[in-house]
Amino acid sequence: MVKIILKEITKKFGDFTALDNINLEIDDREFMALLGPSGSGKSTLLYTIAGIYKPTSGRIYFDDRDVTEIPPKDRNVGLVFQNWALYPHMKVFDNIAFPLELRKVPKQEIEKKVREVAKMLHIENLLDRYPWQLSGGQQQRVAIARALVKEPDVLLLDEPLSNLDALLRIEVRAELKRLQKELGITAVYVTHDQAEALAMADRIAVIREGKILQVGTPDDVYYKPKYKFVGGFLGNPPMNFVEAEVENGYLRVYESRIPVPAQYKGLIEKLDIKEVLLGFRPHDAEVVKGISEGLVGEVYSFEPLGREQIVTVSVNSGAFVKVFAPEGEHFTFGEKVTVKIREDRIVLFDKKTEKALEFLGE
Amino acid sequence: MNKINREKFTALSFFLSPMILMVVLFYLVPLVMTVYISFTRMRNWNVEKYLTEFVGFYNYQRLFYMFQHDPTFKAVILTTVVFVGITLIINVFGGLALALATFFISEKPASSFRLLWLLPRMSPIAVYSLVWYYFFHGSEIGTLNSILMKLGVISQPIPWGQTVPWGAWSIIIFVNGLVGVSFGMIVFTSALNQIPKELIIAARVDGASAWEISRKILIPLTKWHFLYVLTWQFLSLLTTYPHIFLLVQWDLVNKDYGTTLALYVFNTAFGRGEQDQGLAAAAAVILSIIGIIGGFITLKVLQFEKMMKRPRGDF
Ligand SMILES: Nc1ncnc2c1ncn2[C@@H]1O[C@H](COP(=O)(O)OP(=O)(O)OP(=O)(O)O)[C@@H](O)[C@H]1O
Ligand SMILES: [Mg+2]
Repeated sequence: MVKIILKEITKKFGDFTALDNINLEIDDREFMALLGPSGSGKSTLLYTIAGIYKPTSGRIYFDDRDVTEIPPKDRNVGLVFQNWALYPHMKVFDNIAFPLELRKVPKQEIEKKVREVAKMLHIENLLDRYPWQLSGGQQQRVAIARALVKEPDVLLLDEPLSNLDALLRIEVRAELKRLQKELGITAVYVTHDQAEALAMADRIAVIREGKILQVGTPDDVYYKPKYKFVGGFLGNPPMNFVEAEVENGYLRVYESRIPVPAQYKGLIEKLDIKEVLLGFRPHDAEVVKGISEGLVGEVYSFEPLGREQIVTVSVNSGAFVKVFAPEGEHFTFGEKVTVKIREDRIVLFDKKTEKALEFLGE
Repeated sequence: MNKINREKFTALSFFLSPMILMVVLFYLVPLVMTVYISFTRMRNWNVEKYLTEFVGFYNYQRLFYMFQHDPTFKAVILTTVVFVGITLIINVFGGLALALATFFISEKPASSFRLLWLLPRMSPIAVYSLVWYYFFHGSEIGTLNSILMKLGVISQPIPWGQTVPWGAWSIIIFVNGLVGVSFGMIVFTSALNQIPKELIIAARVDGASAWEISRKILIPLTKWHFLYVLTWQFLSLLTTYPHIFLLVQWDLVNKDYGTTLALYVFNTAFGRGEQDQGLAAAAAVILSIIGIIGGFITLKVLQFEKMMKRPRGDF
């Protein structure tokens, strides 16, 4: 129930810069996902918010309060770990009660609060067990209960679902999101699973090599990626990229030519740019048999996925794009097809900086 | 035996035979010999004359009689109890305290600190004992005496080791305690390093102090190592004598209140003057029995079985 403000946070481990000038505001009651590949500094950022790491430079504010120098215990944060970190020698009840015991809360109140939070997470009947007597999903609930029982202002979660199987993950993530909104708690959620971030977060901060590349709503980062990396990291399959040359009002991609999308006409003229990367999402195009206006190529492979299929089209030797097609359509290998891209969903990136053209000025 | 079993047997005997040979040679044979000798009148290593002279429980009766009536032997027993008891506590809790203390400071100073505590174990027994010989020496050349005299705390040198019983006891406990602490420290340190970092971070975030983390998380999670160190140190203290032997030999500590049962066995069997191997063997057997019983009690009291988590799975 606080707003978190990170100002120019840098964290170094020796010579290694794990976090590089991070600026981020997380609103009160917001669900913020920190999304990035392994080693990008997500956990480090989370631990810095928790106070386990002290930033090398920069400040952290909870509302107006500067908490940079304040130890973890006085920040009132709840922390959930990837491996859950339940105390193996304590029963579930004692695990959940532990933060309250440390605060010297009276016994009766502890009892009441533990039962309350256990009920909320549907683990009332497990209170008398040891962690090793629980399934992964149950342990994970206990870990969340332990983080919530002290009614923290901020809930910090470090890939809490990554040890669960795929189905359970989807179930728990819906529940977790509902819980966060019900409790009105500010949440920071670390994940390297883009689907998880898209499904749960109010906003997503994409991190790579200790830098925040883009912050925005799931729609923003999904449809308007600021960098090629963001487009390539989100979505399954990710965004398609092909190299294109600008030629008086057209984009030339190997043998094909498509008109410069309306939203980029002015920008391309202004920037006087010749070479771009053309990006589009697999859902924002369709495959049409035969040669017509669009990206011309051959069917390389197709993978049925039940309701739809992914068609991989080779637009030139070594350049492939993936496009979703309805289940009924039949393709054969090597068949000539045309990929027709939804013009308004095209994103163009500068070839050198791999930054989307509309952000090039920043 | 079918083929697979025979192959298994061949492999087993190949890998186990050196070990079995060692056990038989260095454990079983001496054990049987000791028990046997304890029932003979064996003395002064006069094998031809006494080794076959069977006396039944005579040596045990003598021990029991001495236990009741011989003040020297009574002192030996009392010294053993006090020495093992107090040194054990110092060893185990000192080791635990050192491991916990170094756990909370950064790695570099921690490892030099640990190295410092390993010194007593690394230095040769005679050299190490000599250091404390001079330190506790009863005349004014003794370091402790000279310091205290310089400070004006005492005017006459105190013969620390001849002050019975606590002077003598304190010295043997101190000297052995210092050696033993490092063992517990090493075992506990490695045990603490096995505990997932997240458990400690989680506790920190929840507001636990170093003391609370130690008491509620670290110590309960190292119970098994605690038991191990306790049992191991108990048995080794029960049977150790090299340091004490030197300190007594050099007349630093009083012979009666500086002799433990292990040293008594050694002196009786190999010492100066008349040697009585039959009696020594009987005392050694008693010592072994005490060790076995003590070991079992520690296992039981600390509920060894309960601590072993049943793994998932039925095998
Ligand atoms: N205590 C530390 N000392 C030195 N380097 C560290 C330390 N903690 C993290 N790093 C380095 O900082 C970088 C970021 O680590 P971090 O744990 O934040 O990554 P992450 O994004 O959480 O990755 P993952 O998804 O694999 O958990 C890594 O290169 C890591 O090696
Ligand atoms: Mg991580």
